[in-house]
Amino acid sequence: MLIAENVRKVYQVKEKKGWLRQQWTEVEAVADLSFRMVPGKIIGLLGINGAGKTTTIKMCSTLLTPTSGTITVDGYDAVKDDRFVKAKVNMIAGGERMLYWRLTGRENLQYFGSLYGLQGQALRNRIDSLLLQVGLYEAANTPVERYSKGMKQRLQIARGLINDPRYLFLDEPTLGLDAPIARQLRKHVSELASQHGKAILLTSHYIHEVEELCDEVYIIDKGRLVAHDTPEHLTKSLHLDTALQVVIPSLSDSLDYDLRQLAQDYGGSREIAETDEQTWEVTLRGKTDMTTPLLSLLAAHQSPVLRLSTQQPSLEDVILHMADRRGA
Amino acid sequence: MKQLGSLLWAEIIKEHRHSFHSKMIYFSLLVWPVINFVTAYYSFAPFRMGGDSPLARFISYEQLPLYLLTGYLGYIFYWCLVQSSWQMSFERQAGTMEMIFISPVNRLAFLYGRSLSSLIEGVWLFFCFVLLALFFVDGIRLSGWWAPPLAFLILLVSAIVWGGFLCVLFLFSRDASFLYTVLDEPMLIFSGVRLPPMAFPVWAKVISFCFPLTYALQLIRELLMERASLQTMLPSMGLLAAVLLVLVTATVVLLRQAEKHMKKTGNMVMY
Repeated sequence: MLIAENVRKVYQVKEKKGWLRQQWTEVEAVADLSFRMVPGKIIGLLGINGAGKTTTIKMCSTLLTPTSGTITVDGYDAVKDDRFVKAKVNMIAGGERMLYWRLTGRENLQYFGSLYGLQGQALRNRIDSLLLQVGLYEAANTPVERYSKGMKQRLQIARGLINDPRYLFLDEPTLGLDAPIARQLRKHVSELASQHGKAILLTSHYIHEVEELCDEVYIIDKGRLVAHDTPEHLTKSLHLDTALQVVIPSLSDSLDYDLRQLAQDYGGSREIAETDEQTWEVTLRGKTDMTTPLLSLLAAHQSPVLRLSTQQPSLEDVILHMADRRGA
Repeated sequence: MKQLGSLLWAEIIKEHRHSFHSKMIYFSLLVWPVINFVTAYYSFAPFRMGGDSPLARFISYEQLPLYLLTGYLGYIFYWCLVQSSWQMSFERQAGTMEMIFISPVNRLAFLYGRSLSSLIEGVWLFFCFVLLALFFVDGIRLSGWWAPPLAFLILLVSAIVWGGFLCVLFLFSRDASFLYTVLDEPMLIFSGVRLPPMAFPVWAKVISFCFPLTYALQLIRELLMERASLQTMLPSMGLLAAVLLVLVTATVVLLRQAEKHMKKTGNMVMY
């Protein structure tokens, strides 16, 4: 298990104050953050306002030293016993860096594998299995510079798995990828946890991705933990509004009045918009389900229903809500 | 040991594919030092080189081509490593430096492996040229059959140690490229590549003894041009060994400091 306890990271940042003068200021990137990574589970790290997600990942993967606090990986301290920790962790970042573009996919994996002491037949077998796993076997001997963005990202995943890490850190792994490739990668990440027992920490700007993949979510703001729960509990615990949307062909004044009254009775709000198809889209937002009274009301007004849908609050709503609350 | 071999091989492949991807690069690696050597040789031509010339106290005229050949060979060995360590900034920009330091690889093995692979790629062509040229120049006075291999070994080991040290310096900062300017041209001038350091004024001698290439060239010339026995070379060998020991110690200490610094400041990815 990876246990981070009260981890803090402070950077010294140089500020220019004219030609010769400069001033050093302290910037707290991560403050008092604690979390756990368990094999077979995916945890998400979501942030508001440059929250320190990448700094957290780099501290866990031994690339940065925490200013205070401890990170232990299977009992090894990430600072004092970093060589043992390094063998158990790896990181995959989004984008097209962290690869040698002139080398082929296979040569990249050979190089990175050798850094972990892999060699000979064992390394060749590992590379073949990873290339098959990420669907790059056919392109193994093509230079990376000829790969598409999605292929480079898949090679990154293979590189991140070269040492068969128990703990994997994914920093925006689907950044800039096309939707089908991103979906394929999400499936792969999910399998890494469920079938291969990896403990995964995921950061992403695509909140639906975190919602889909993560068993638990840590929301941090300016390096500080502000919420931690399962995605479902997080959305429920904040009691955010459910949106009920109905499309009707016409809107009389009396129906408009009754809809407003209905929303008020249930402590919610209503929005009305005319669509391009000359129909009316009514949205009722509230904490309680207004489907039955709404349908009764429309039936009383003899108004046909063209479309009816309910939108439950998403993790994105939670983040936006928190950002608003903290910004206020 | 097998692991180290595997790492070295992977490093050689990486360097080969990454930095020596075009045949024109090898062409330049031969032509450039040859042009330098020829220029240096003919720049002596307008001057008096007889027995009464000031330089005759240090080099005989017949040995001048050999002196310059050995000088340029040594310089190319060391120059390749200045170039290679300068390229550390590429690893920083590409984000691959993070991927190296996230792994448990032995840092010293990585640095020296990198130096060795750059060296092999960078010097083999000029080395072949020098070997060939040795058949046509006068003044070769070998200490024994073992002198050329020993000279090669001295050059190889000292250059790798030098390369490892330079790589560490470039680990500290993305702004270390000024070292390229500081190390390259002064090494050519002061290390005895074209002129014997003993012919320099005192201040220049002090600078020349800051470069390990000076000691390495001294030994190589003793082996190839002065028929020196191992016994007579012992002081020079001891001096080079001491200099290399200092460099290795400095490399180990600075490497720890550089990694600590990168982990503290996060500058491993800044470029």
